[in-house]
Amino acid sequence: MSKMNRRTFLKALGATVAAGSTAAGSAPLFAQKNPHVAVVGGGVGGATLAKYLKIYAPSIDVTIIEPKTKYQRPYGSSEVITGHETMDDITISYDNLRDRYGVKFIHDTVTVIDHAGHKLHTAGGRTVSYDRVVVAPGISFDYSQIEGLDSEADARAKGIVHGWDAGEDLLTLKAQLEAMPKNGTAIVVPPPNPYRCPPGPYERAGLLAQWLEERGDDAAKVIVLDSKNGFTTDVTMLQAWNRLYKFNLPEQAKGLYTEEQLATFKHHEGEPKVDWIMGVMGGKVTRIDAENMIVETEGAGTFKADMINYIPPLKAGRVALENDLADETGWCPVDPITFESTRHADVHVIGDACIAGAMPKSGYAANSQGKVLAVQLKALLLGGEIQTPVYQNTCYALAGNTDYGMFVADVFRVKDGKIVRVDAQRYLPFDAEPHMFSMAATYQQAWMKAFTKDVFG
Amino acid sequence: MRTKRIFPLALLAAVSAGSVFTANASELSAGLTGQMAAQTCAGCHGTQGYIEDSAYVPLAGMDKEHFITAMQMFADGSRPSTLMGPLALAFSDEEIEAMADYFAAFPKERPAKGFISEE
Ligand SMILES: Cc1cc2nc3c(=O)[nH]c(=O)nc-3n(C[C@H](O)[C@H](O)[C@H](O)COP(=O)(O)OP(=O)(O)OC[C@H]3O[C@@H](n4cnc5c(N)ncnc54)[C@H](O)[C@@H]3O)c2cc1C
Repeated sequence: MSKMNRRTFLKALGATVAAGSTAAGSAPLFAQKNPHVAVVGGGVGGATLAKYLKIYAPSIDVTIIEPKTKYQRPYGSSEVITGHETMDDITISYDNLRDRYGVKFIHDTVTVIDHAGHKLHTAGGRTVSYDRVVVAPGISFDYSQIEGLDSEADARAKGIVHGWDAGEDLLTLKAQLEAMPKNGTAIVVPPPNPYRCPPGPYERAGLLAQWLEERGDDAAKVIVLDSKNGFTTDVTMLQAWNRLYKFNLPEQAKGLYTEEQLATFKHHEGEPKVDWIMGVMGGKVTRIDAENMIVETEGAGTFKADMINYIPPLKAGRVALENDLADETGWCPVDPITFESTRHADVHVIGDACIAGAMPKSGYAANSQGKVLAVQLKALLLGGEIQTPVYQNTCYALAGNTDYGMFVADVFRVKDGKIVRVDAQRYLPFDAEPHMFSMAATYQQAWMKAFTKDVFG
Repeated sequence: MRTKRIFPLALLAAVSAGSVFTANASELSAGLTGQMAAQTCAGCHGTQGYIEDSAYVPLAGMDKEHFITAMQMFADGSRPSTLMGPLALAFSDEEIEAMADYFAAFPKERPAKGFISEE
């Protein structure tokens, strides 16, 4: 049994190496003192790392620094807009992490990472020392690419919210949806790559269309204005929209399918309930006139909307940008095996903020990275070998109808210094039986609960 | 970003141990512990395979042979699945056995404190 062997091995090893640290600069001052890992951000990545570190190496002290006293999960949060979930449903307590696993909490915002001094400074004036720090601050939003909206605050003041990081935005979007005139038009603008939750904006578009249909709007329309020409789960999602929402496949998207598959698509007369204006069709949004609710595109003309959900380009969380952890892309380069920053020693970046090769910016990915990092930090701080990692991502999504689910499933390994995707089949087969789509929807709902328990429970 | 790359089969087990690469499946997966492989399951099947009242099957305390057979049947399609097929295909036989050993070592009942320390 490899597990037992490894345990005995580490126990034997622990006795001799626990006092010394592997990396110069992180050597504890007193041999008796437990190593201390500070975690910036108690979201999916930070919480998973903290919990698993306490399971794998209880003698390591773990402190999460996080401004919120309760987490609000972004995953599965579009359902708040359509009323399938409430804000309470997506709000998660930190009690189990604290009481069951012994993770310490400081509710504050980290402002400065003093790399040389191995210290964090917070907005509340605290200083926290660390042997190693894990930075998992999620994302920030870049409004420099769009005319008409100067900043996140300016956009909000004008009533244009992204709702891509949970919070009050979701209730704003819910109110905007409910206030839509009958048979009105909603516009969803997905961000360019890379971004958090690749199927998410399209799932949201479908959810809005389904809600409008259920309200009795026969001719309401959700238009996705995109700078891209494809997205994760596109093959399954577009097929579902063709079945559910009178969606006609654009000429330019036909390359996604074989001739035989194309033949199964219906051609719908009249206006679709969901439309997708691709990048090659000029769908990239260049300007938003919030006052007049007008959206201008690069090449597909001007659209008048009753509701605009603009999700701007994303970057790593601000604390990562402001502490020299990101490169010119706005994301943080890391070692693919230890997630240690390639820019600063003893700093690890996980979750949406890091550049993790072929891994998407998803909750499952952040969770998977957190677990691998827990294994590696145990070795780095208590002695033992860095281990060969394996990562996974599974993301479920809904077509809109909550009985029509789909997914992407991938396993990732490190090859030639990069995280690569190793499996071939990753979506439901094109010709899957109808009950498979409804099973995927069942699993999607079960996943929200099961996953939340693995991270926070 | 639409990637339709199909990776060669040899890659399925190609993992790095530091900077050393080899194409030999069994050699490479020998580097992967049961814990490392099994923790990927927990995002759906619960930490250490403990999960109650869920559409997902608990894995803690599952009989080793049962686990291996299930994974083989997912992989060859004889047991229909949504995403277990693709996932089972992405792990080598040795890795599946290591995962089976890992879960079999846990008691079926969740312990009172909620989890088992793996220090
Ligand atoms: C609509 C939607 C649907 C989604 N659906 C899925 C899905 O089905 N499956 C899936 O896997 N993923 C899904 N996701 C993606 C998932 O929510 C994210 O990928 C995941 O939350 C990323 O985890 P993280 O730890 O990087 O960031 P987060 O979970 O955002 O956590 C970051 C934390 O850091 C804190 N923080 C930020 N700055 C500081 C600072 N300076 N000091 C201290 N703390 C700080 C924040 O308060 C926050 O709590 C979805 C996302 C959206 C928006």
